[in-house]
Amino acid sequence: MPLLNQTSLLAPLVRRWSRTTALTEDDLEAIEAMPFAERAAPRESYLVREGEPTASCILLLDGFAYRQKLVSHGARQIISIHIPGEFIDLQNAILDVADHNVQCLTRVHLGVISKSALLDLMAVRPNVRRAIWLDTLVDSSIFREWVVNVGRRDARARIAHLFCELIVRLRRSDGQDQQVWDFPMTQEQIADATGLTAVHTNRTLQAMRRDGLISLANGKLSVLDWDKLAEVGDFNERYLHHTV
Amino acid sequence: MNRQPSSHPLQNLLRKLQLHYHMGAEDQQAVLDLPYKSRLLEAQSYLVREGDVPDRCAVIVSGYAFRHKLTGEGARQILAIHIPGEAVDFQNMFLNEADHNVQMLSRGEVAEIPRHALEELALSRSEVGRAILLTTLVEASIFREWTLNIGRRDARTRIAHLLCEFAYRLSAQGMAPIQDYELPMTQEQLADATGLTAVHVNRVLKSLAADGLIERDRRVIRFPDWKRMRDVGDFNTRYMHTLPAADTNLHLG
Repeated sequence: MPLLNQTSLLAPLVRRWSRTTALTEDDLEAIEAMPFAERAAPRESYLVREGEPTASCILLLDGFAYRQKLVSHGARQIISIHIPGEFIDLQNAILDVADHNVQCLTRVHLGVISKSALLDLMAVRPNVRRAIWLDTLVDSSIFREWVVNVGRRDARARIAHLFCELIVRLRRSDGQDQQVWDFPMTQEQIADATGLTAVHTNRTLQAMRRDGLISLANGKLSVLDWDKLAEVGDFNERYLHHTV
Repeated sequence: MNRQPSSHPLQNLLRKLQLHYHMGAEDQQAVLDLPYKSRLLEAQSYLVREGDVPDRCAVIVSGYAFRHKLTGEGARQILAIHIPGEAVDFQNMFLNEADHNVQMLSRGEVAEIPRHALEELALSRSEVGRAILLTTLVEASIFREWTLNIGRRDARTRIAHLLCEFAYRLSAQGMAPIQDYELPMTQEQLADATGLTAVHVNRVLKSLAADGLIERDRRVIRFPDWKRMRDVGDFNTRYMHTLPAADTNLHLG
């Protein structure tokens, strides 16, 4: 497998880690020397399956992915959405066996690092360990917020919250504000992320369009009134820990 | 409040860490050598408030605690229940502001470790760091399972799942046999942990009892048939990530 041109491909990751952790020259060198293999995967393909022993860890370079779990009768709950620059599989890779599935939301471009290389790096570079640790703790905070979202908000608030979260994370990641955002989720996937039925989701989205909050078509989301959307979604970005 | 006076307050923390990762003797001692201050807390007292910058990490020595968040409208969602040996603030390590609240569920004792001492130990001793990181990842796994529980299981399965999880965790920590334990939660708290109303929880508990799945005597819960209960709760222990050696020590009856 070809090795990545890491300096450029890892730039978003290094930029993100540098915001929260003081990385030394030696740390940067070690990060750049991480033995990544490059891979592409089609939309909907599985990157990790629940129950499988973990052998590698995936860095999302381009495209979107999501975590999901199934109940025994087959219903699916989406647990979180992941965007480029995120080390999406830390949650499974550091543990022995995957407890959930990771699937591609779009066609994706990945960097894959072996679990042993990742653990070695974390063992010898405390700053990198801290940065990775911090990533997993922010993931954890997002999981908590989603418990609140499905447990104690109504349908409209749940969907508005999902939109707000994704936009704030994308904005933070590429540093620019946009009028139109990539939002590659189907109505069925939005339903699975919010604990709703597809019918309820469809009805709620129609009402949100009618009320001038958003427009959503062909995988593109425009927010017509951000303040109102954030209010409807009961959205407070503290849990994203962008100020760490 | 039934801690033996001779035991070290952090002994249960060590036991908890070792459910997920085995450390050598020196690393175990380093955990026990962490500085701490004991505090006795009444039920409902806050250990952490959303927005706080925590400067210490509480380990539960006796009693129970719970994590929760409030929506803008004031509705409460409980995110996790914590038992003796668990550290409520591992989740806040390295972060600036707490993003949720932690309150005592019952009266109990906590040992508070200064945050800088904990962070320093976690970064300087890689095995201890690994054990703490794994423990926080298992907590994250439990959050994921709760999203699934609330998002995609019906009321009866949700409640049964929560009762199974609590039993399993108490048992793994050596605190109770899996089929017989004291549940320190009110029906309102059960409702807040499962995204239901208290009335709904009451109805479900009655139906679980009517079907012979649980027996209740005040706060004591018994499972006459653990395997059946586990099926009803769609409970699979994979997400608990307990080491096989610790798992086989469970009193599975």
